[in-house]
Amino acid sequence: MSLRKGFIRRRPFSSVTLLILLLLLAVIWTWRLPLQVFPSIISAYTAKEYCSCRYVMNNPVDYCQRYVKQWLPSTLTESLSDKRITATGMGRESSAQWQGARQGCQLLPPVP
Amino acid sequence: MSRLLFALSLLLMVGPAIAETWPDARWQTHPLAPSAALQDLEAYAFPTRDEQARKGVRTDALLVIRNGEIIYERYAGVTKADTPHLTWSISKSILATVLGVAYGEGRFKLDDPVATFYPPFNAHPDIKIKDLLHWASGLDWQEDYEYAPLNSSVIAMLYTQGRGDMARYTAEHPVACAPGTSYRYSSGDSTVLAAALRGMVGDTAYTDYPWTALFDPLGIKGAVWETDATGTFVGSSYAYMTARDLARIGLLMQRGGRWQDRQLLPTAWVDLNLTPFASQTPTREAPGGQWWLNKKADGKPGPWPDAPLDTFAGLGHWGQALYVMPSAGLVIVRYADDRDGTYDHNQLLKRALKAVAGEGGQ
Repeated sequence: MSLRKGFIRRRPFSSVTLLILLLLLAVIWTWRLPLQVFPSIISAYTAKEYCSCRYVMNNPVDYCQRYVKQWLPSTLTESLSDKRITATGMGRESSAQWQGARQGCQLLPPVP
Repeated sequence: MSRLLFALSLLLMVGPAIAETWPDARWQTHPLAPSAALQDLEAYAFPTRDEQARKGVRTDALLVIRNGEIIYERYAGVTKADTPHLTWSISKSILATVLGVAYGEGRFKLDDPVATFYPPFNAHPDIKIKDLLHWASGLDWQEDYEYAPLNSSVIAMLYTQGRGDMARYTAEHPVACAPGTSYRYSSGDSTVLAAALRGMVGDTAYTDYPWTALFDPLGIKGAVWETDATGTFVGSSYAYMTARDLARIGLLMQRGGRWQDRQLLPTAWVDLNLTPFASQTPTREAPGGQWWLNKKADGKPGPWPDAPLDTFAGLGHWGQALYVMPSAGLVIVRYADDRDGTYDHNQLLKRALKAVAGEGGQ
């Protein structure tokens, strides 16, 4: 008890830094799953909604590129032969593919 | 003489049915004459479209049907009369209409536990079908879109952890309160309804059920309904159809679930859709059964003061709307790509009603 009090008195700034670090670790631990999958949102959203914009709603390429544009950078690759879209963003990659006239588009595995 | 009387009385009986206009393969059109009120409606719905910053009202389609006839129709941007436009959350109201047909076939009862048709809900044996219909499952669901993506259940369901099996992802949510007590808008609840439909009609019929049950009888061609990896319809978000086809669902609802001489949806089902849900927690909106209403359970008016009290709507992200006003004989479809909150339902409804009344109305 007196030992800890002594440490906090001798090193007040280090103590606060340590406390903040511990709290941050606790937050990251609590949110580990959402944080882990979060980076996939941009590429998954871009691939899926671009695929539907092109092959379900039958809109032109330049319109669909603007339609899926987000505030974070992403890239798009369109494979016309098999109606498959691959997108990247935040260091992750996702693909979506047109499934049929009634089924429209779907994100392809693996699920993040 | 008696034959003549019989023929005359038959004519009298059939008369009103003949006077009622229904679309066959095409809609009858009777365009509104130009007027200042109509100009005002167009100025509100179709301002100069901001394609760069995507600010303000950006209507893709506006279609007004009065008593079964098109009286106004305009498209903007790349959307055309034959574009199957994404409806986003209007899908929930479309799904409810599909479920209404299944209800009429006696496939389920409102008080049935969801688990009867969707086994992963054995974890929540007290949640009933009608609780899902009222967005009152009580599950701890976070319905936020782009402003809280880390915490959002719906983003995770559509794009990350949940996308392989969206209904199961919903079922795995913890409970926040007792089922049937509190309204809490949830795309998860709607998606579980889509999964329960599979249990109600069976695997074989399920794949085509929205078409055989609803789209074909109404003459809706070219509708698309995307599924998750297990084949469950994304009942919350991913139905697509043309504005004219969505108006057919509006007309069915305007006429109490009847399509021509066939009562496609039981009256009890339409009543459930259009009765305000009495939530124990206060609500800004006026939810019914997978539809949005203009009157609240306590009798107070709903969110659109310039529209009749009997107005109801299916509403979706980025400004999608299917408005039905039975007392005015109107169905309005609005598709859009609104990326901010400028658009106001009440403003559009007010101007549309004025534009229609300016012509002599009913």
